[in-house]
Amino acid sequence: MIRRVTGTVAVAALLAGLTACGGSEEAAGSTTLTYWMFQDRTPQAGEVVEKIRTDFEKANPGVTVKIVKIPKDDYNTKLGSAVAANTVPDVGVLDQPLVARYAMDGTIKELPAGTVNEADYFEGALNTNRYNGKLYGLPVDHTAVALFYNKKLVPTPPKTWDELKQMSDAIHKADPKVAGIVVPKGDGYGAWMWPGVVHGAGGEMVDEANKKILFDQQPAVDALQLWVDLLPSSPRDITDSEMAFANGLAGMMISGPWDVATIKDQFPELDFNVAPLPYKTTPAGNIGGENAVVFSKGQNADLAWKWLKHLTSAENNTIYAQALGGFPINKAAAERDAGSFGEQQQGFLEQLKVAHARPAVPEWIQINDEIIAPAIEAALSGKVTSQQALTDAATKTRALLGWNS
Amino acid sequence: MNTAQRVRKAPIYIALVLLTLISVVPFVWMLATSFKHSSDIYTKVPNLLPLDKQTGEWAATFENYAYVLDIGGLGQAFLNSIYVCVILVPAKLLIDALAAYAFARIPFPGRDKLFVLLLTGMMVPTITLLIPRIHVTQSLGMFDSSWGLIVPNIASVLDIFLLRQFFLSLPVDLEEAARIDGASRMQIFWRIVLPLSKPVLAVVTITSFIFHWNDLVWPLVVLNDPELYTLPLALQQLASTESGRAYYIMAGAALAVIPVIIVLLVFQRRIMQGIAFTGLKT
Amino acid sequence: MASPVVADRPAVTPRPGRRRRPGFGRSDRLVGYLLITPALIYFVVFLLYPAMAALYYSFTDWNLRSPASWVGLQNYSDLLFEDVKFPHFWKSVQVTVQYTLIAVPLTLITALGQALLVNAIRRGSNLFRLLLFLPVVTAEAAVGAIWRWLYDPQYGLINAILGLFGIPKQNWLNTPELVIPALAFIAAWQCGISMIIYLAGLKGIPDSIREAATIDGAGPVQRFWKVVVPMLRPTTFYLVVTGVIAALQVFGLVYVIFSAGGGRSVTGGPEQSGLMYVLHLYLFAFRYDAMGAACAMSFLLFLLIMIVTALQFKFLKQEAA
Repeated sequence: MIRRVTGTVAVAALLAGLTACGGSEEAAGSTTLTYWMFQDRTPQAGEVVEKIRTDFEKANPGVTVKIVKIPKDDYNTKLGSAVAANTVPDVGVLDQPLVARYAMDGTIKELPAGTVNEADYFEGALNTNRYNGKLYGLPVDHTAVALFYNKKLVPTPPKTWDELKQMSDAIHKADPKVAGIVVPKGDGYGAWMWPGVVHGAGGEMVDEANKKILFDQQPAVDALQLWVDLLPSSPRDITDSEMAFANGLAGMMISGPWDVATIKDQFPELDFNVAPLPYKTTPAGNIGGENAVVFSKGQNADLAWKWLKHLTSAENNTIYAQALGGFPINKAAAERDAGSFGEQQQGFLEQLKVAHARPAVPEWIQINDEIIAPAIEAALSGKVTSQQALTDAATKTRALLGWNS
Repeated sequence: MNTAQRVRKAPIYIALVLLTLISVVPFVWMLATSFKHSSDIYTKVPNLLPLDKQTGEWAATFENYAYVLDIGGLGQAFLNSIYVCVILVPAKLLIDALAAYAFARIPFPGRDKLFVLLLTGMMVPTITLLIPRIHVTQSLGMFDSSWGLIVPNIASVLDIFLLRQFFLSLPVDLEEAARIDGASRMQIFWRIVLPLSKPVLAVVTITSFIFHWNDLVWPLVVLNDPELYTLPLALQQLASTESGRAYYIMAGAALAVIPVIIVLLVFQRRIMQGIAFTGLKT
Repeated sequence: MASPVVADRPAVTPRPGRRRRPGFGRSDRLVGYLLITPALIYFVVFLLYPAMAALYYSFTDWNLRSPASWVGLQNYSDLLFEDVKFPHFWKSVQVTVQYTLIAVPLTLITALGQALLVNAIRRGSNLFRLLLFLPVVTAEAAVGAIWRWLYDPQYGLINAILGLFGIPKQNWLNTPELVIPALAFIAAWQCGISMIIYLAGLKGIPDSIREAATIDGAGPVQRFWKVVVPMLRPTTFYLVVTGVIAALQVFGLVYVIFSAGGGRSVTGGPEQSGLMYVLHLYLFAFRYDAMGAACAMSFLLFLLIMIVTALQFKFLKQEAA
């Protein structure tokens, strides 16, 4: 035993020595740009990103771009740790709602005037980078949630809320074991999707400029009531089953483009398509997707913006956005490549034309999770009315933000 | 065993088999899923074998494993995890055992107060220490490196506590006899105390191996470079990127579990000895 | 993590120098200090300093990016009394205590039951022990995926089994009242380590005592209550203390179970019914950028753990007296 322990220690010491000697530094004279992004979704996507990277290096001799891919779920935790440890990348992806927060305390740089032609980008996506009217980043792709429908159960997708309710009722009546639609939950995810429905009734969540909370007004109440009204024809004990829509247990669901590939893989027999979200007064939805920002404590800011221009150029943006599972934010790219998107993706492209950015309030994630989500849940579980739930939520939000109206 | 005994034991075996089934079914399901084709995953009645959804015929595939090892990056992560554990676990055991022995046997001023202080440290929730530990690791130049996984975990108060308790239970007479024969402290430690402590050493080794093999949170905050990812981190990455693709996730999970089971099998005898040893001592 | 070997031994520290040992001189002290030095350095650098730093941050407003600004006791008073800033703080305390009260006893009873059964047989005991231990070593990602499937309201195995006894289908992970029991059940399923420790405790009961009880006419049930349970008291105590400390800090399980849908629904299950204390803390630390408040939460947890542990020790002393 003694010998074995000392043996292992010796091996450990040896290994320690080896690694200490390894790890040489970059050759002098070259510049390395570190870029953090969400993990791309497929090996093919990885190849696309690699090609975009080598193109950039060819065009900029002496420059090496080091791409670090991090799973979306862990990204903010890692970025927070890196910020705390003063090891931020030069440039990296940032969740839309975080741009306002990071801009507020100077963690990220303002986009220098004249770097890009703003008209090249879709306005909604570009606006997710604004804080106090100034741009602090560039969108690299955008995406939206839309209505998935099972063609066998839903011959034509509903366009309005009334049609949606009728359709849901009809499906559940025809077969009580099948739900009309997977109604989103009162959790962080449901609360994230809900503003798109509010916009569909002509409403707004907040008025940032005038510090007004608007999600306790009639359009928002109607939007929440829509979900409440859908529940009887869409019982939870059916829709809470894993992959209920893909298994044919629900006629419709609201989800994003990431689910298209997963469903096609695992349920090749399912005949489904995607349509824009039904609306009450105005077609609408909300924008998701990724922005990229340049960190104040990073190096090579000019090169970093150049890299972001490269990613969002007419030439590269479509393939880069597709690698991330989203859609191009460069208008020229989107127009030219519209045909390269599959049948289901067309539904999302339609949706994106009428999509709205989320409020640029630094505390928005917390409001989303801790105030709006529970309010939605309270109304959906029937504990309070939609109006009551939202009035309470608005009061809490005003208190938290210190807004008066 | 005579017939009467067999009859008496029968209900015990039946109960054990039922309990074991509960433990094992999820495991079997994990393995089955890892061998399934993507289109055979979701079935109305759960399938505990990799069968074709339509025909019900045997349809196992190794593709999921090939995918996660290569493209999923689990192959590299596997090696990284082994590297970290091979250095960390023995080094930690040594440091803990040395300290535990001193706390158990060597009288020096302030010893018991120090020990109590250490124990209080054990009760600080790990999550509290996370961010300051990142700072420390960063200032030691170990952020985003394998050493950043090893050094900040190189000792454990709980293990020192357990080892000390065991050393206290050993008969002092042996050590005194050795001392009379002229052995030094370190000789006594290596030649008498450690060999007698194989059971507890085995247990501490296993528990610390399992803990570090499965640890997710610390590697998550300290590592940025995917080349250095350990298995749980790569698995988490896979589960996040491939969310909804249970066949990949389960293949990755199975890969993560197998080494632990091997370690358990290897140490099984030692644990048994440990238990028998305590039995004799009481 | 714990050892089966030491579990049945009460923690007694013999006083140094109570008994003269032959021959170790003054240099022995030096050896003593030398041996604890590596562990002590580790303790100071990676435990004491970080704990002090976290304590400092708990008195500040800090988002990781800007310098921390001193706010005194405000984080603590906000957490305890300010419903607007921390609407779910007390909910998370309630959820965690509830979980601890169900999960710890359930785990120990399951572990003891398994240990008694394994201890009663010879042939195959190694195999059974190994198989019963499997859930402990299964990766959290797999545990989450597996149990979401087992609890599935439509296809889940658990509803299928309950159906055999005429019990209607339950929506386990989506009904606020059922979330905690469902999570506690998973904890009990992963009781392997406690089982091994109980097994060690059982092996430690001398046959002579059992035989004496049998001769005195005690049946198996009486033997269990009169011999096994009292003899296992130190083991049980150890497992309760460590189990409670672990249960108060449970995180990974809920994180995995409720991160279905790509980790977006991190808010702790339906109506926050699974919002464990550490999950709540994690959200404030890494999702809402309130590191100062998160540090304050962790010190309140530390305080709670200290109090609970002290109470348990006091209770044990009274029992023993």
